[in-house]
Amino acid sequence: MNQQKRKPDRAQVCIIGAGASGATAAKVLTEHGIHVVTLEKGPHQTKEEYGGDELANAHRYFLWPDPDLNPRTFRFTANEEPWIENLCPVPQAVGGGTVHWTGWVPRFVATDFVQHSLHGDIPGASLADWPISYWDLEPYYTKVEWALGVSGQAGANKYESPRSKGYPCPPMPPTRYASIFRRGCKNLGLNSFPTPTAMLSQEYSGRPPTVQSAFVQQHGDPSGTRSNMLFTFATDALRTGRWDLRPNSYVREITVGHHGWAASVIYQDADGNVTEQEADLVIVACGAIETARLLLLSRSNAFPQGLSNGNGLVGKYLTLHEFTAAVGVFDEPVYGWAGGGYISASTFEFYTSDYRRGFIGGCHVAGAGVGIPLPISFSLPGKPHWGAAAKDWDREFFNHSMAAGIVLYDLSQEASRVELDDTVTDAWGLPVSRITVKPHPNDLAMGRWVVDRCAEILEAAGAKKVWRAYVNRITGNCSHQHGTTRMGNDPGSSVVNKYCRAHEVENLYVVDGGPFPNSTGANPTLSIMANAWRVAEHIARNRGYPA
Amino acid sequence: MIPETGRTERLFFDEHQWDTVEAAMARIIPTDQDPGAREANTVRFVDRYLSGVDYIYAKPDGSGFLTLSGKVADVWHKRIENLRRKYVEGVAELDRISQQRFRADFVRLSAEQQDRILEALARSGGGAEQLVEAAGTIAGLEMPEAAMQQMVSEHDLDFFPLLALHTRQGFYADPIYGGNTDHIGWKTIGFPGPASMAEVHRGDFSTLPYFAQDSIPVQTGGEE
Repeated sequence: MNQQKRKPDRAQVCIIGAGASGATAAKVLTEHGIHVVTLEKGPHQTKEEYGGDELANAHRYFLWPDPDLNPRTFRFTANEEPWIENLCPVPQAVGGGTVHWTGWVPRFVATDFVQHSLHGDIPGASLADWPISYWDLEPYYTKVEWALGVSGQAGANKYESPRSKGYPCPPMPPTRYASIFRRGCKNLGLNSFPTPTAMLSQEYSGRPPTVQSAFVQQHGDPSGTRSNMLFTFATDALRTGRWDLRPNSYVREITVGHHGWAASVIYQDADGNVTEQEADLVIVACGAIETARLLLLSRSNAFPQGLSNGNGLVGKYLTLHEFTAAVGVFDEPVYGWAGGGYISASTFEFYTSDYRRGFIGGCHVAGAGVGIPLPISFSLPGKPHWGAAAKDWDREFFNHSMAAGIVLYDLSQEASRVELDDTVTDAWGLPVSRITVKPHPNDLAMGRWVVDRCAEILEAAGAKKVWRAYVNRITGNCSHQHGTTRMGNDPGSSVVNKYCRAHEVENLYVVDGGPFPNSTGANPTLSIMANAWRVAEHIARNRGYPA
Repeated sequence: MIPETGRTERLFFDEHQWDTVEAAMARIIPTDQDPGAREANTVRFVDRYLSGVDYIYAKPDGSGFLTLSGKVADVWHKRIENLRRKYVEGVAELDRISQQRFRADFVRLSAEQQDRILEALARSGGGAEQLVEAAGTIAGLEMPEAAMQQMVSEHDLDFFPLLALHTRQGFYADPIYGGNTDHIGWKTIGFPGPASMAEVHRGDFSTLPYFAQDSIPVQTGGEE
């Protein structure tokens, strides 16, 4: 490795990470005339590098971070010895998780922002109100939905908070599993709606409608027609000519100058060259887990516990959601793989709190294929593992099964956190994230109750057999990450302020899910992008200098 | 160009290992009114996989395979080495149990006898638990032992769960990887997959014909 540090010209703004939040920030800043350097750990792939290959994508880490190169460790409680487990991975590439998502993009609702005011102190949990409200974010939801290209039906979700504008495209055409789900809801008297999706149901803004392949979830898009970062915001930012995007650049430290501000970012490129990038302002956008890890790795005399971690809160209050489901089989064909399994219909009937249920909060519930409903990955609870019976199950149920799944709102807890592991390092020699997460009793009760409702929806739709998969631990299978750099008005109980600027470092911002004080019952990426847009616009108003 | 290996051109296994793995796979996905693992050439799929790092990732347009380099190549070399050892030892173990019970190598046993050997192997060690784990990790719901996982990690599995997973992969993966010959696996379960990876790569593969038709009543949005 070449240890000789290279030193390119000082940047106005340096963003670390080019996923959902980093690409959004890059688009907004560059379109406001600001020059931005972005350092992305992974490659910058083009659509030609993606294909319909379940084996490579779902089984051989083609897009997932390789667990042997990028391990994490995990434990339930601080008393345990951690073990290696690749908890809550997200693709590391330009576009991040949006590269291989289908793109369920519901908005949060107004009550999500005032969970502590609503529920008070829940024993064992650490709920906090957001320092901003739904109304602060609403204009940015609209901006993202229209710039990204989202298909949905405004007003169809009875529980949606008010919106200033509808969706740019009508809902996606219904799959059979979406229609069956809505039939079950209708028979039970439940409101349901087409899941808002980051795809184009029709031509929009010069882009053709999204190709409805089966190779969608976990697969990149060779047709270039999905609304992910690669084909939208990253393209927009590059078009300005002001975006210096450097892929394959692995940041290992943010340094601090004599005035206590972030001074530079040290990274290693694909050839092993170490480079120091100075910047007036640094935006961290690595996803809540990797962001916490980078801040903790960035130790200095001014910040011996890690950057902006004087109060010891960096890494705490990690929440990850959990996806689980009731699964049913039907006489009629379901074709769970059509559109990839997640061109869905949803209900928010179990989203907001009802104390009679015995827990607070609730979940976005949607009809979908079972897991990754492609031939290799297809499975059902209790399916035999081999032999004639296993073959019979594949033959009978592959085209006749679906799930009603939940996005579990896991409560924030102080003990759920990211730290640096003491012994395990990644392939670059840096300590990996050690994650400690144990579900709160509220999580388990919610998971059980909502999955029972999912089972009822499938039964009401005519399922001939239904299984219930209850949550018993958090595995991070949603690839959703929040917390770890909590946003708040009080520097004693949060890491960043309401503009996501670090309380302790005046020119350091975090724009991924890290600042979210709690998780919610909804998929977070639209909200992460809306918040990143809000923060970037705030920075742009100050011409790239800290406000 | 894809190095087109014939039906039985061996890249890693010796002849006995090939025959043994092929026979075991034929019990994991047996031939009945539909073709099984034998007809799909799943043994060729795993033989190619174990041959090195030349068959890890197909090129997305199906024109061949990607050349791995750097850390990714290093880590795959290590993993393949580990898998090779498991297969070599696994085949030897199959024969050892077969000799012990039926005084013949595994390939020479009847289908019923082979099933009994595989059942014993599936139960031994961490086999039973790992089968559940393997099923869970292939994105199924295996209650209550494993939750719904998006990503598979096969590298900690013992021989039998690994063999069962590879049989499944060979039966259902795109034919470019050496199995699923003539889309036999897909036809068996009614998956109307693409004619080739090139079709997906061009953006021509659409499942819209399998979306909802008028036969399924759909409520209009916004109604309760």
